[in-house]
Amino acid sequence: MTLMHTHTTKTAPLIAAGIVAMLALSGCSAGGSIAPAADAKQLTGGTVSYGHQQEPACVYGGWIEQAYLSYQVLDNLLSLDENHKIVPWLAETWQASDDQLSWTFTLKDGVSFTDGTPVNAEAIAYNFDYWANGGNSTAAVWLGGYYESAEAIDDLTVKVNLAKPYPLFAENLTQSYFGIQSKQALETRTEEENCAAPIGSGAFTVGEWNRGENIELIRNDDYNSAPANAKHEGPSYVEKVDWKFISDATTRVSALRAGEADAIYDVPAIEWESVGEQGYEQLKYITPGRPQQISFNTAKGIFTDENLRKAFVYSLDRESIVDTIGKGVIPYEGNGAVSQSTPGYSEKAADAYSFDLDKANKLLDEAGWTERDDDGYRVKDGETLDVQFPYAAGRIINADGAAILQGVQEQAKAAGFKVDLIPIPASAAASGKYSGEDGYDISVGYWTSVNAGIQYIIWRQNLQESPNPSNAAFYNDPALEDLIIRANSALETDEQNALYAEAQEYIADRALSVGLYDRLSTLAVNPSLKDVWQESSQGGPVFHDAYFVG
Amino acid sequence: MTAVSERTVTAVARKRRISVGFTASAITLAIFVVAALAPNILSTQDPLAMDFTQALQSPSLAHWFGTDESGRDLFSRVVYGTRESLAIGVGAAGLAILVALVLGSIAALAGRIPAGIVNRLIEVLFAFPTLLLALLLVSVLGASPITLVISVGLGSAPGYARMVRGQILSSKNSGYVEAARALGHSRFTIFRQHILPNALRPLIAIFTMGVGQSIVWASGMAFIGLGVAPPSSEWGALLDAGRAYITQASWLVVLPGFVIVVLALAATTLGKHIQSSLEKGETA
Amino acid sequence: MTHTLLARKADAPAPARGRLTVSPRTRSVIDKLIGAVVVLWGAATAAFLAQIALPGDRATTILNVRSGQTQLRTPEELAPINAEYGLQNPIVVQYLDYIGGLLRGDLGISYQQHRPVWGIIAEQVGATLTLTAVTLVLAWLIMVFWVTLTAGRSSRIRALGSGVDTVTAGLPPYWLGIILLLVFALGLGWFPVIGGAGANGIVLPALTLAIPLAGFMGQATRTEFERSLDAPFIVTARMRGMGDLSIRLRHVLRHAVLPAVTLSGWAIGSTISGAVIAESLFTRPGIGRVLIAAVDSQDLPVVTGIVVLVAAAYVITNLLVDLAYIVIDPRMKNS
Repeated sequence: MTLMHTHTTKTAPLIAAGIVAMLALSGCSAGGSIAPAADAKQLTGGTVSYGHQQEPACVYGGWIEQAYLSYQVLDNLLSLDENHKIVPWLAETWQASDDQLSWTFTLKDGVSFTDGTPVNAEAIAYNFDYWANGGNSTAAVWLGGYYESAEAIDDLTVKVNLAKPYPLFAENLTQSYFGIQSKQALETRTEEENCAAPIGSGAFTVGEWNRGENIELIRNDDYNSAPANAKHEGPSYVEKVDWKFISDATTRVSALRAGEADAIYDVPAIEWESVGEQGYEQLKYITPGRPQQISFNTAKGIFTDENLRKAFVYSLDRESIVDTIGKGVIPYEGNGAVSQSTPGYSEKAADAYSFDLDKANKLLDEAGWTERDDDGYRVKDGETLDVQFPYAAGRIINADGAAILQGVQEQAKAAGFKVDLIPIPASAAASGKYSGEDGYDISVGYWTSVNAGIQYIIWRQNLQESPNPSNAAFYNDPALEDLIIRANSALETDEQNALYAEAQEYIADRALSVGLYDRLSTLAVNPSLKDVWQESSQGGPVFHDAYFVG
Repeated sequence: MTAVSERTVTAVARKRRISVGFTASAITLAIFVVAALAPNILSTQDPLAMDFTQALQSPSLAHWFGTDESGRDLFSRVVYGTRESLAIGVGAAGLAILVALVLGSIAALAGRIPAGIVNRLIEVLFAFPTLLLALLLVSVLGASPITLVISVGLGSAPGYARMVRGQILSSKNSGYVEAARALGHSRFTIFRQHILPNALRPLIAIFTMGVGQSIVWASGMAFIGLGVAPPSSEWGALLDAGRAYITQASWLVVLPGFVIVVLALAATTLGKHIQSSLEKGETA
Repeated sequence: MTHTLLARKADAPAPARGRLTVSPRTRSVIDKLIGAVVVLWGAATAAFLAQIALPGDRATTILNVRSGQTQLRTPEELAPINAEYGLQNPIVVQYLDYIGGLLRGDLGISYQQHRPVWGIIAEQVGATLTLTAVTLVLAWLIMVFWVTLTAGRSSRIRALGSGVDTVTAGLPPYWLGIILLLVFALGLGWFPVIGGAGANGIVLPALTLAIPLAGFMGQATRTEFERSLDAPFIVTARMRGMGDLSIRLRHVLRHAVLPAVTLSGWAIGSTISGAVIAESLFTRPGIGRVLIAAVDSQDLPVVTGIVVLVAAAYVITNLLVDLAYIVIDPRMKNS
């Protein structure tokens, strides 16, 4: 042992260098040619091996990870195409009444759920009530304040009554939270059954779910209800999708390179370029809705002072942090209210602040934070300029995101802010411990949606009679709420977008929330698998049109 | 006989090499202690200073361990992370031994009922998954070195507690304790003068090895998201942060991992030497 | 490590003081059973109390996990969840319900998966047990091979042998695992990246855990091994002309492996904690990952169910280790 010891000390650097070299090799060695032959033909059948990241507890639910999965199994009334246009899915036509208070949907004829029951108006109406009553918590939030009732007019016509005009109503229904399930299944099956294998009319049904490993999605051979933006009608080409859960990013990319996965989700920024160079098809989708942004606590603590909020934002060179960590893959986002892929996006709100340390220092000096301690943090009346910044590590903020937040921490330090980044475990994050007014000075997070109507969910006032715990800035402002409601109700797209933009600028002017980066949904696909695409409401993978060549 | 002479030669050689091994590991540990107490001596760069133009540089003369995704100097980060990592190792091993001493002494010396209760308590601690203990603690206390110290310390305490109990039981029944008893010494005096020193002595070696082992454990905690809050460069946190980059920038994982291995090796080697010299002292 | 052995021996039940009605053996069995029940109850209670002590509100957590949010919730949203799982009841009532369920063999229903905890555990425990078993076998093979090969040889080989023990025992499992993954699965392509169900897929995850364990056991065994080599009965065996290898394997090893047996018992007990790294890295199902997910979502029935299971496994393993001692070392029969 002793000999070994001295031996080790001498050769230690060599061994380390050897391992580094070996790993560098392994990173590229799996390169080679992966492209299919030029004369490769379309194959029928086969199983797509797909590596996803997070495993939800149920297939269907209010979390985006569930939306990705339930999209494969459930059809919606409507679909969103790549030009952000609503197109038919289960509903062939849809129309709002003149007073905008009711919507009528006419269904495709001859569509059945995979339990054999028909997709009819009664089933659709039942689903609306199911969502509104908490069957899907996220769907419930979207319906809240607007939805009143749904009724079957005849077998294929369903009417939905609203409390207020809501022109974006139809668009919102394209999110997978609004996937239609069999009424019979919801009524008669156990919660456990509907959790693990909901019954819809989709292109696939849920086969075996080996928890911790994979879910088998089995082709629905009777599928006849593809959305209008699908590349083909009828059952999917592949027989099965083996939806694997590979939480570790390195393992996921390795599985793709080793040929064990035909497609993977969430390619880390650092791997993006090399995966592309190796010939894998890359798909990237910037989810619309709220980007990864920071909201200031305007109810308690130092950021009740607007000038301090501004000082914090001026102290940051957000773009350079995001560009460095994001390697040109993750887009910088200046707008805190909505992401650049959201209709009605305001450039002006996005450009409201750029890095200006002098301005930050001036604002802080004016606010009386003139002294600095030995570490360079500002002090006033014996108090340090302390910023509590918890974030839900892993679940909401991934590794790249955590690196970006450290950039924020380091840059704000130059202006004298002492930012306490607190990675909170999932249980504490979900428990609400860090969610109240005493929980943070800054909160970070995203919320995908298909339009700027997400602002209503987030910025609506949090009042006793109508609570809104989603208002992370604790900012109650009737003027802002009124602006957003008017935008939601505006009939003309231009007028609506102008009002939404005004709301974004209102938020930016007061530095209530500023953007950091856009949330991405990325895929890398082996070139022998064709026609995998990302659906446009949330960026999930679509396998209905996919086929192998060889 | 040749066998004898061979044996003598080996013994002499072993003795000489023991001092070599002892010296080597002691020097290695001394360097780590310097890094912990005065990191600026070993590193001239600010471990937190980001330089976006220098992101993900491979090891070079300017950056011995390369740089991370934000252009921070990895060598400086490892050096500055020593304090926390070593503190976690020392703290966890210390806590484990403290808890073990208390539980082990009661289990060995107290009356039947309290000893029985403590024995069961040790068993429950053994049976309770360390992973869960860590997960729960981090939910309550947040991610910090303290949390790691407590979870790793409590996780390894029951093993040590058994050891202490065994030591005390065997010395309790040994000749010199019998003699002391016969001489009419009080129970407390016997415990303090005879039993405790006997139980403590091997713990010095165990503690030294435990420091290295605790650091390895703590680095595993970071992997499952229970590490120390950023921008700390505690070694487990460094390993965890480097994970995503391993195929493109493997030094971010390989080199901090290597430092952990070297420290664990040095601590274990030193511990073994202490142990064997103690055993020799006992038999002599 | 020799001290572990020492502790073990000292642990052996003291000579019975002699009650008239019950034989010492029966009493020892009864003691052991009572002890086992107490350990199970203690672990279950500790798990329950620790969960209750977690910050925040359980119903809020359940709802947020279902929707992927981290916000506060309104009383209207929480009411149905509180009612469904009885979370509004006093803690004492919840505790008694829980213990009552345990006594009936009912571990409850998962808050998130809406199905019995028994089912969740039954589904995952196989993968974990397989990994543990393969890990132990590999660790023993590596350890026995290496110790037999290097212990008690020339000083250089001895030093190499114990040096390797020390280094491997100090390898961080995550670090080892990812290097194995990149070199042997991705670089050389010998093994699959994703563990999966195939026999080939278990090699790397098992090695990730087995190599450090082999180092630990090697450290403990080597000392005893070298001590035994000098023992009189070995000298006698040599004089009888037995070959070196067969002496090492048939006589010395038998005397030297006791500490490694203890360590194996400990390794089985700590599998849940240790295996999770290999499971996550190589994408294998298993109890460890389920436990993490359950703690993350404060899925109390699943967490407590797993704790009870682990405690039961621990109790059983320890009985087996005691048994192994008697089998390996006949002297223990009399003590």
